[in-house]
Amino acid sequence: MKIVYLKEVLVFILLILLQVLLLNRINVFGIATPVLYIYFLLKLPIGRNQFFVIISGFLLGLIIDIFLNTPGMNAAATTIMAAFRKPVINLFYDREIYDEYVPGINTAAAPFVRFTIFMVLTHLTLLFFIESFTLFNLLNTVIRIISSSIISILLILALDGLTYRKKAGEQ
Amino acid sequence: MRNLFNFIIRNSHWLLAILLIVFSFYLVFAHNPYQRSVYLTSANNVTGWFYTMSSNVTSFIHLRKNNQMLLEQNAVLENELFSLRSYINNLAVTASSDVDAFVRDSTEQTQFSFIPSEVVNLSFSGVNNFITINKGSKDGLKPDMGVISQRGVVGVVANVSTNFSVVIPIINPMFRLSAKLKNSDNYGSISWNGESVNTAQLGELPKHEIYQAGDTVMTSFSRIFPKNTVIGYVSSMGKTSDDNFNTFNVKLATDFNSLQDVLVINDQFYEEQKLLENSLER
Repeated sequence: MKIVYLKEVLVFILLILLQVLLLNRINVFGIATPVLYIYFLLKLPIGRNQFFVIISGFLLGLIIDIFLNTPGMNAAATTIMAAFRKPVINLFYDREIYDEYVPGINTAAAPFVRFTIFMVLTHLTLLFFIESFTLFNLLNTVIRIISSSIISILLILALDGLTYRKKAGEQ
Repeated sequence: MRNLFNFIIRNSHWLLAILLIVFSFYLVFAHNPYQRSVYLTSANNVTGWFYTMSSNVTSFIHLRKNNQMLLEQNAVLENELFSLRSYINNLAVTASSDVDAFVRDSTEQTQFSFIPSEVVNLSFSGVNNFITINKGSKDGLKPDMGVISQRGVVGVVANVSTNFSVVIPIINPMFRLSAKLKNSDNYGSISWNGESVNTAQLGELPKHEIYQAGDTVMTSFSRIFPKNTVIGYVSSMGKTSDDNFNTFNVKLATDFNSLQDVLVINDQFYEEQKLLENSLER
């Protein structure tokens, strides 16, 4: 149990560093920026305590904000996402699934892809609207949301496919 | 009650989420100038009315202070104006008399100076009207000093205590003041018949006096007021008891209902003039 937490903390820190030091400097065609750090929230066990999910989501966004100098924006979007994680999981996964199950592309591809698409789209929509905070340049905002979402989703799915390791017990 | 507690406990993570989201948005608005500016401009549409109202109220409160400032400035300017006028008169005299050696004494006093003061009580209860102002003997006020407002003549100081003075205004039956029309040299007398706070009567003017509504009524020879101080404007022909004289109704320049700030005229030569004139009578 403690090793699981340790691993999560490591993933947390790694994702933040990756996002801040590398991904946020990428700006494809001047519009699309990959957002990877929410991968942490996707990969938490399904039955995880909601308080834990929400607080970790908030901290995740807040730390990203501190690094990117955008106080509150990522925190708000990530907290909203974390709060709605459980209902969204219930939407895409069977109810009978056990609490310790970690969503992943290798164990159940279709639900995870849908889950990822939904979450990333929601998150980036929130993020870009909080950032622009106006409906003035709506088309531009929508293009940025969609292009960033596509890149982020591809990146997350690729990362998930690559980092999968069968646990010792499963073999 | 128990159900309520259960409900709260079951949904407490939502409360936490809402709390954190609110906090995040607080951060967004508090620390991002762009979002704050958008928020403020859009909020302006909603709260614009409140802002307008509050600014109305605050500007009204500040009006008093501003008025006081303007009044003090006005007093300074009037002092300057009078000293410059007397200087010009002296220059004219010296020029015509061709005495180059004559040098004016630069320390010479000006005749009138002005003491700004504030009205603390208006008693317009009927006939025996008076005004109380917040300057007294401490500030150099004496009975028989003239009192003017920004617009025109107010009245004459009657009683003085240390910190307060009572002014008898034009709209008191006891008040008499020598006055004339602007474009004429005949003078009459201003008095008040007790009918309207805004109107006084200019009587004892010769019958041949021509007038037009709106003619300016000014002080003429007076121990109290500088010459040509505005009193009011002719509004109509009034009733008269004597066929040899005309009486005009005069719309007073000073609005007594909204009177707040006044200037008390300090005539430096008043005592001297009075002494001289009294010495003849003796």
